[in-house]
Amino acid sequence: MSTTAVVQCWRCQDEHAAQVFCPVCQAIQVLSADVDYFRVFGLARNPVLDETDLTKMYYDLSRQLHPDLHQTGTAEEQEASLKNTALVNRAYRILRDPVQRGQYWLELNGEQLGKENNRVPAQLAALVFEVQEKLAELREARNTQADVTLAALKSELEQIRADLDEQMQGFQQKLVTNFAKWEHPDSPQDLLSELKRVLSDMAYLRTLGRDVEKEYSISWNI
Amino acid sequence: MEHIVGIDLGTTNSLIAYVDEDGPRVIADAKTGHKIIPSIVSFSSDGKTVVGRDADELARTQPLSTIRSVKRFMGLGMEHVSPDDHQRYRFADDQGMVRFAIHDRQYTSPEVSAVILRALREQAEAALKEEVHKVVITVPAYFNDSQRQATKDAGKLAGLDVIRLLNEPTAASLAYGLNTKQEGLIAVYDFGGGTFDVSILRLHTGIFEVLSTSGDMRLGGDDIDQCLAARFLLSDLSEELRRDPQVLSIAHSVAERAKSALSEQDETVLNFSVAEKGITISRSLTRQELEEAVDEIVTRTLEPCRLALKDAGLEPHEIEEVVVVGGSTRMPLVRQRVGEFFGRSPLTDLDPDEVVALGAAVQADTLSGRRRDMLLLDVVPLSLGIETMGGVLSHLIERNTTIPASVKEMFTTAVDDQTAVDVHVLQGERELVQDCRSLARFTIPIEPKPAGVPRVEVTFMIDANGILSVSALDLRTGLERSIEVKPSYGLTDDEVEQLLEESIDFAEEDIEQRLLIEARTEADTVLNATHKALYQNAAFLRQGEEEQIAQAVQKLREARDGEDYDLIRDLTEELSEATTPFAQRIMDSSIQEVLGEKRLSEL
Repeated sequence: MSTTAVVQCWRCQDEHAAQVFCPVCQAIQVLSADVDYFRVFGLARNPVLDETDLTKMYYDLSRQLHPDLHQTGTAEEQEASLKNTALVNRAYRILRDPVQRGQYWLELNGEQLGKENNRVPAQLAALVFEVQEKLAELREARNTQADVTLAALKSELEQIRADLDEQMQGFQQKLVTNFAKWEHPDSPQDLLSELKRVLSDMAYLRTLGRDVEKEYSISWNI
Repeated sequence: MEHIVGIDLGTTNSLIAYVDEDGPRVIADAKTGHKIIPSIVSFSSDGKTVVGRDADELARTQPLSTIRSVKRFMGLGMEHVSPDDHQRYRFADDQGMVRFAIHDRQYTSPEVSAVILRALREQAEAALKEEVHKVVITVPAYFNDSQRQATKDAGKLAGLDVIRLLNEPTAASLAYGLNTKQEGLIAVYDFGGGTFDVSILRLHTGIFEVLSTSGDMRLGGDDIDQCLAARFLLSDLSEELRRDPQVLSIAHSVAERAKSALSEQDETVLNFSVAEKGITISRSLTRQELEEAVDEIVTRTLEPCRLALKDAGLEPHEIEEVVVVGGSTRMPLVRQRVGEFFGRSPLTDLDPDEVVALGAAVQADTLSGRRRDMLLLDVVPLSLGIETMGGVLSHLIERNTTIPASVKEMFTTAVDDQTAVDVHVLQGERELVQDCRSLARFTIPIEPKPAGVPRVEVTFMIDANGILSVSALDLRTGLERSIEVKPSYGLTDDEVEQLLEESIDFAEEDIEQRLLIEARTEADTVLNATHKALYQNAAFLRQGEEEQIAQAVQKLREARDGEDYDLIRDLTEELSEATTPFAQRIMDSSIQEVLGEKRLSEL
């Protein structure tokens, strides 16, 4: 993922490092789709960031790039505006979410969460087991149209939702604490593995939460 | 500069608006003063069309050739047509896209909508005294890709350049934001004639960021009318009468009027009579009876509200203002339920009928480059995905992703020498393809190679209109592959072209007539101004100028009485040019006068 590649401005032919606007003629530059998302916002590659600041930077960039404001421009300008805005939107979507941001940052550092995602995290094993069992019960009740059982399961599912939320918040806190250590880690390697573990657990929890939501919405049409 | 106008193409009513020095305003009909055109189209046997109030009149006697609420059919297939609709209209086919069978012709939904758009356009052109080409048209936020595409096609068929499709709740938020300058989290609850939308937005420093949107594209005031008609007007009639298109159409209108009346008063009288069918029903209806009957329908709007809040990660109490839009929000019951849900009374300062059109005009102003202080960041309402093995949907773009959004997907071949890969694009939240809406299919052409060797990168782009486009890049050869997307329920580009040609043949006479009238009006304006200036400011004329102007006046007068509008336009331009230096001198002198007076008073 090279961010120092030299590119040429489509309008004035100036050669410069990849950036959103040409430093010479200010024309919008089409960014490569694999550009570093942190760099899109002019940020250092650091998982610790102030989300309010990020939103402000996102708004500022949108104000310069958005297709609505380039409707009267040339075809090239409109094309660049459309592509870059789509890219900035994606970059913002990933960076504003601590879990996705963390995962992306790990990828930039050559680490993959990959298959570990599917392993049940040890400290969550009991909860995961309970959730899977309840979901199975729920599907069974739905298939057999056991309305009474179904009604009884609703409050249990809601309790599970609350438990998952609580767990998630705990992880969130852990993540923030670990992110904050990144600038001066005691041992970068240990911190990296710890972050990886937390992110992996969070990703697992999130997938589980989605399964619960899906079953919930199918069962009660919400 | 050419005006870009904003159009609210509603299920029940349509409006057109633009922005002038004083802000956005809805354009009224120059003759009648009406701002609203009811979205009703009637077709006569010779293919002529009648729109709006006049069509409403015709609905009484010609229910089968008069289409109401055509928006409910936009971009849909026959399998989505309700039993009730089957009783009210005749359709050309029982599968494929919806085509109305009227007299001996077939009309698609975009064609019917185009008739309404043409009427709006004429209303605007008569009022603005200039041609209108570029438009922003609003659509329900929850409209899927096919419905958006159908709306764009309708615009094309009306001879309009649709530069943007704008989500209705977002449009309303623009008008609201412009009006109040408020910032913070708002919810827009848009309950119209045929659709329900809710959007959650964050307003901050001129940015209107949609956090989430949800809705029900088949839930609106129409359902309330139908429910009332079934319960209070049709219940005692014979099976046969209950299926009669004329009876249904009239019952629907009576119910609609009663509903409106009960928004203002506690009791009303239902007068339902169809003399030809021997029906005379007269009974009273209280607001309480109405509210009991439609409570379930109103409750159904709250689920999308819950979902939108959840997707935005918010609780109801965090919403700082609730803006209600759409005719159905005039009902006290609706306002009450919305108020209870969000824990605050909804804002009702804005006219719920006009606010969407006004917002569309504001967005049109931005797109024309005149306004840079407001920016919309909207989202795609439904997840987009492709069919994978086993009829399972693989999501590529999640719902509530900010648009424009793009995603790349790699495709390869499964068997040796495969020359194409078929891709099926769908929209929806469910896992199985059968539960989602099919949008389009396309084929990626591939060079024959051993299985797995070809690598084609397909980019799915959802543009700022919420419409999908697809492009493919062969990574081995570096060649762009052109891809023709075949819509599942829509017109192909060729079909749009063909319909456009037909409608042009048909409307050519009308256009000629209109152009002539416009050219004459313009000529009269310039002739009058010239006459006045010559009379009042003759002293400013230079030698030879008077004669030159007189000649130009004479030529234009003669042409004006002829039929050649191009000639009238050219000569108007000529006269205008001939008088420019003269007009300039008059203007300079009056400025000097003003300055002179000022100096005098300062002494």
